[in-house]
Amino acid sequence: MPVADAAAAWWLWPLALFVFCFLLGIVAVIAGVGGGVLFVPVVASFFPFHLDYVRGAGLIIALTSTLAASPSLLRSGLASLRVVLPLALAGSLGSLAGAVAGFALPVSFVHAALGVIIGAVALLMVSTRGLDVLQVRPDALGRRLGLAGEYLDPKSGRIAWHTRHTGAGIAAFGGIGFIGGLFGLGAGWANVPALNLLMGLPLKLAVGTSGLAISLINSSAAWVYIERGALLPAIAMPSILGVMLGSLIGARLLHGMSSLTVRRIVIAVLALAGARALLRGVGVWP
Amino acid sequence: MSGERQAADGIYARWLAAGTGVAFAFALLSLLLYLSGALPAFVSPDELPRLWTLSAAEMMRETGAPPGWRWLEYVGYGDYLTLLGIALFALLAALCTARVVPAFLAAGERLQALLAALQVLVLLVAMLGLFPGAH
Repeated sequence: MPVADAAAAWWLWPLALFVFCFLLGIVAVIAGVGGGVLFVPVVASFFPFHLDYVRGAGLIIALTSTLAASPSLLRSGLASLRVVLPLALAGSLGSLAGAVAGFALPVSFVHAALGVIIGAVALLMVSTRGLDVLQVRPDALGRRLGLAGEYLDPKSGRIAWHTRHTGAGIAAFGGIGFIGGLFGLGAGWANVPALNLLMGLPLKLAVGTSGLAISLINSSAAWVYIERGALLPAIAMPSILGVMLGSLIGARLLHGMSSLTVRRIVIAVLALAGARALLRGVGVWP
Repeated sequence: MSGERQAADGIYARWLAAGTGVAFAFALLSLLLYLSGALPAFVSPDELPRLWTLSAAEMMRETGAPPGWRWLEYVGYGDYLTLLGIALFALLAALCTARVVPAFLAAGERLQALLAALQVLVLLVAMLGLFPGAH
């Protein structure tokens, strides 16, 4: 868009962003993915904003969405502060380092790396299936940290849980935090498999605990984005409001739609946006 | 899970629910003040389509935006007041985690209290820009 036209109606792009984020919020709830993982590659690829502001807004979307959901997850026992604390500590340090690295690296490299990561996320979504309840043997570190509990499942009754491979899980969260901070992603796509498949938490608890972890982990990186001037209210606020309103509608539509179909569409969009980011990064499709 | 263990989760949930509500209301109100023109903008909205194509560092240089925490001096402008609303969301995790430290100590869970205190420390380091590569 020519600058003169754009200046005449500066609000057109934020309005388009709000509409996109509203739809994103609906799709994300139905497909069971975080909004940030779709937001960053799509907005970076098809909106005129510099990647700095897109990463900043993506991070804040993930933060606000998980902040809003965490109280009810904690009250219902579907998120555990006890599990989150050691993981979020490693994740927050990783996220802080990732955010700093994101501003030090050339933007073309960040675009290309984002494309690779988003492609990997799409593959991960295709290839992994969560396990509802796992029979796991608790490890020494998990016992030492008291990472055990139970929650009430409406269908199965009381589900007791504990963790395994706790040290590996903490290390994984450090790495995932780095990627989340670098690209402004919520990283639920990686947190949930780490909690469920690696650490042996039941899937429902893994999903809830991932959300609570993101709300802590993204808070550390958010300060880097604020300090670097990468949180632009005209971009961040329409994104937050759009995703929040869309999520409310998505939750109402959840029972009437095929989540498998929506999930397939999300994977296709991720693959497309990932390819676009990669091609932009290597200069093939600027 | 013991009652003491659940207490920390309950306290965290209560503080987080209240804090998120306050932050959301503040951010929404400040956005309305910004968009309606009731408060002046530090960066004219008409300039944004040119500026948002620049990197954050370039935009700060071009607009003379205040570095570090000095932006708090500019919350009389609608855009910085809205940024303050967004920053409140980032503040919540530190506040809620700090609040559960005494709850863990009261339950005799020193290790959990230590982890929570370390988490608050990391968030404070991030908030104050006391890490390598800051500024």
